[in-house]
Amino acid sequence: MENVVTHEDWKVCFAEAAPGLILFARQFVRSVADAEDIVQEAFVRFWRRQHPIENRALLFATVRSISLDMLRRDARRARREASAVAEADQSTAPQFDPTTESQQALSVAIDRLPAEQREVLVMKIWNELTFADIAEVVGISQNTAASRYRYALAALKKNLISHE
Amino acid sequence: MNDFSELEGELKRLRPAVPSADLMTRVEQALQQPPLADGPVRGAQAASLQFGAACRKHLRTLRAHVANPFGKLPNGAGWQPALPRRVNWFALGLGTAAAAAFLILARVDVDRAREKKPTLAASTPAAPQIASQPARTLLPDGVTRVVYNTSDDGLVFPSGSAAPVRRVRSRSQETLQWKDPGTGASLRVSYPTEEIEFIPVSGQ
Repeated sequence: MENVVTHEDWKVCFAEAAPGLILFARQFVRSVADAEDIVQEAFVRFWRRQHPIENRALLFATVRSISLDMLRRDARRARREASAVAEADQSTAPQFDPTTESQQALSVAIDRLPAEQREVLVMKIWNELTFADIAEVVGISQNTAASRYRYALAALKKNLISHE
Repeated sequence: MNDFSELEGELKRLRPAVPSADLMTRVEQALQQPPLADGPVRGAQAASLQFGAACRKHLRTLRAHVANPFGKLPNGAGWQPALPRRVNWFALGLGTAAAAAFLILARVDVDRAREKKPTLAASTPAAPQIASQPARTLLPDGVTRVVYNTSDDGLVFPSGSAAPVRRVRSRSQETLQWKDPGTGASLRVSYPTEEIEFIPVSGQ
């Protein structure tokens, strides 16, 4: 029996995945608006190509690819306008909605992680991708993905303990 | 179990920021259009998506500038919505190399053409080259005659003669040869000949 994905399924899928996708995109671009643009472009491209809705690794790989493209494209311009616009832009908007002090501390600690550990952590914790999926998205081995995840947790733990 | 289960639980309780309502509306509008059945987003549709994102980004920048008028305006002056494009460095390099090769070849051709083009001073007809060379002296070097056929036509009586004569016809190939002792060059001329001979016949 054929599994038909309806228009409503895509909408629900996006509504569920959007927060995690934007969080993932923000590991590459600091601006919320840029991250939303990236996620929109990635999701619409994913939908137009009619990829299987369950293939989340491919969706994240698309987000990553578009983000890196944007970084490369904007690198020269960013050097020129690095000063004033960055101050006024909403790039420093928080990635999380912390409700307690400990969550606030955790959010700050996540920001301090190395980028390659942070992107693995984001895919694993808030998007529930497997290490196999993460390895496919990033282009690394599963062992490397698992190692980066463990290093990230260890660094977070160490950071939190030192601030207690 | 690992030592991080408590930390993982804490992390999962930390919720990502909620996306803006504007994003949900934009994606919902995009989903209203028919999807492509034949693969990737290309051409105008991809450009449209990227152009929309670029416009929104520049609008945000402008708003930021309005909020902070003493800050620098990006991109020099005014709003410059540039379509983001990926530079294909390989194609660019190949094209540059081809253009450089073409220019080099074109320059070589121009130089050759200039060399061929006669100048005003040289337009006077030059003296014949042969006049400046020493006169060639071809000396006769030999004559050969090869008779390859002889036939006897019998007795004939030439007009005004009472005695008969025998007419003999011979065909041959004659070759004349000249040689220049100075250069060693030689000239050879070869031609066929036919000779008719009348031999008196005694009437004893």
